[in-house]
Amino acid sequence: MSLYLRQIGAIVRKDLLLELRSRERMTSMAAFAVLAGVLFSFSIDTATVRPQDVAAGLVWMTLVFGGLLGVGRTFHLEAQDGAFQGVLTSPAPKDAVFLAKTFANFVMLYLVSLLVLAVFALFFGLDVGQNLRWVVFVLGLGSLGFVALGTLFAAVATGTSMGETLLPVLVFPLLVPMVVYGVGSTDRLIAGRPLAEVEGNIRMLGAFALAAVAAGAALFRFVVED
Amino acid sequence: MLTLLGLAGLIFLFYLSFFWVSTEIRQGIAQRIFYVHVPAAWTAFLAFGISALCSGVYLWLRDDRLDRAAMAAAEGGLVFATIMLTTGPLWGKIAWGTYWTWEPRLTLTLLLWFIYLGYFMVRSSTEDPEKGKRFAAVVAIVGALDIPFIHLSVIWFRSLHPEPVVVKPEGPSLPGDMLTTLFTGLAVFTVLFLGLFLFRYALEGLRAEADLRARRSAA
Amino acid sequence: MSTVQAETARAVDSGHRESAVLEARGLVREYGPVVAVDGIDLSLDAGEFLTIFGPNGAGKSSLLGMLGGAMRPSRGTVRIRGAELSYSDVGWRNRVGILSHRGFLYARLTAEENLRFYGRLFGLSDLDERVSARLDRVGLSDRAGFQVRHLSHGMRQRLALARALLHDPDVVLLDEPYTGLDPSAAQVLRTVLEELRDGERTVVMVTHDLRQGLQLATRVAIQVAGRFAWERSAEAIDTNGFESVYHRVVERT
Repeated sequence: MSLYLRQIGAIVRKDLLLELRSRERMTSMAAFAVLAGVLFSFSIDTATVRPQDVAAGLVWMTLVFGGLLGVGRTFHLEAQDGAFQGVLTSPAPKDAVFLAKTFANFVMLYLVSLLVLAVFALFFGLDVGQNLRWVVFVLGLGSLGFVALGTLFAAVATGTSMGETLLPVLVFPLLVPMVVYGVGSTDRLIAGRPLAEVEGNIRMLGAFALAAVAAGAALFRFVVED
Repeated sequence: MLTLLGLAGLIFLFYLSFFWVSTEIRQGIAQRIFYVHVPAAWTAFLAFGISALCSGVYLWLRDDRLDRAAMAAAEGGLVFATIMLTTGPLWGKIAWGTYWTWEPRLTLTLLLWFIYLGYFMVRSSTEDPEKGKRFAAVVAIVGALDIPFIHLSVIWFRSLHPEPVVVKPEGPSLPGDMLTTLFTGLAVFTVLFLGLFLFRYALEGLRAEADLRARRSAA
Repeated sequence: MSTVQAETARAVDSGHRESAVLEARGLVREYGPVVAVDGIDLSLDAGEFLTIFGPNGAGKSSLLGMLGGAMRPSRGTVRIRGAELSYSDVGWRNRVGILSHRGFLYARLTAEENLRFYGRLFGLSDLDERVSARLDRVGLSDRAGFQVRHLSHGMRQRLALARALLHDPDVVLLDEPYTGLDPSAAQVLRTVLEELRDGERTVVMVTHDLRQGLQLATRVAIQVAGRFAWERSAEAIDTNGFESVYHRVVERT
């Protein structure tokens, strides 16, 4: 295994271990997901709207807002004892650091997104049925694109005097394609439409995620340099 | 100089669009805003392209002049995007009966406007100006990369929700005098943008120089 | 004023020295209109221990940041054993160890896990032996499995030192290591720092603590407003009179 991969592995392992011990981010994201499901249930007048019809959009909104809670704090834990400075002054390349942080965030957000799906399936009586595999796949692609942009701009926001409050302003406009294609495909998959109908959307979602990861890996070094 | 030329052109454009060009039959007078609206949108995107390009080269070469150019372009772009966004609803209200519609180009410009907003917020909220420049450059570059995705997605989104009939003169079907006015508009706005851009760029250069002098005399 | 200039001029030796481990030329760091480091030259051999004193805002931390490659100089160059540091090249980071008053440690990882994590980042191969040997050396073997948040401040500082030296760097940079330590912890830190004077390493320390700073130094500089306003070899310094010298230099500049 090359040094590059070992460095990535070390950071991913450290991040997940820290999360396992503190449970700070997962707890807040998971609690947010469930509570959002509850609130959204109350926000729908079932006399006029069928919950299934709007569920896909709400799943993605929960994912975006909940993800922001967790991803926005990516660099806070690091900053506590200046530890991130230790990482940055180590020989680990900056793109490796970015890929590792993104991957660790991805693991967490993906788990949360599956929880969101389960919560909404339960509360809204969704029957995902035979398309479940693909919905899970689409959520994975969406989570990946989200954490790539989220991690990059969390680093930017953390470096400003405004902190996390700046994060939504920076990432929401950029996330529009992810939401459009994500909701567009999830919606139809949940409705039991054939995969062929959303294949193009899934491709776009994948391209978006890949572009976000690549851009983040290339630009992260400029964000964290001092 | 270019700014003056641009301003003179603007007056000429107003003359053309108010008095010279023939009134579009279905939409009436209101359609004349088109000659300001479309060029403003075009300029906003041109500005963003310039800004992102300068930002990219700035991160590479770290020449402050590139950062100043990126900022001047972004500032111009923000102004023109604002023009586009204010004229759009005015026209939309009359043409389509509603102030806002998720028309792809309008949506795209709105999002572009927010990316510009992020650009300037990031710039102004760091203690170390160098850091602000780098952050802003990253915002501009990611924004520019994201624009094609946003563009495709809002078009696709729009195809899901067809509007009632959109009456909009487009492309070569435009009668000659309208086309002439439109192209005059495009040229005028581009010149105006370049003028403002160079003006702001020069101004920032002078400011940087003044800073340097103040520092020298203090030392 | 003239003596200060003469001293500074002598310290700035002309030309590039082959034997120097750590060498800086014309280092400048600007934060927009603020100049934190305003043209510093230095050249240190193996075994030299340079202590830099100076008031707050003199640019000491910025200087250390640039020497360690954590910060990109606005102008000027840094060389380690003749090889010029480029900010984007990460290989030479293997040669620099950084210890600040912040430990760079993860509170919820154990002492051992912290060292292992950094060891992996540095690509060290003999992690098992190395980590246990280092924990032993700073007297933390029996605390290896304790999370850092359960360690005392002095223990953390020792662990941080073990972390900074884990990869056996040629150059060690100490940024206010005594800040926040009680007298006994400071004493422990001093004994460990003394080990750094093994004739092979080059150490640069920034501190406010005049007494502690003088005890270990072979060279001493006072940095004011981004420049070395005063520089001497340690033998030439009267330890008792240094405080008044320090105040005189700081006020004069």
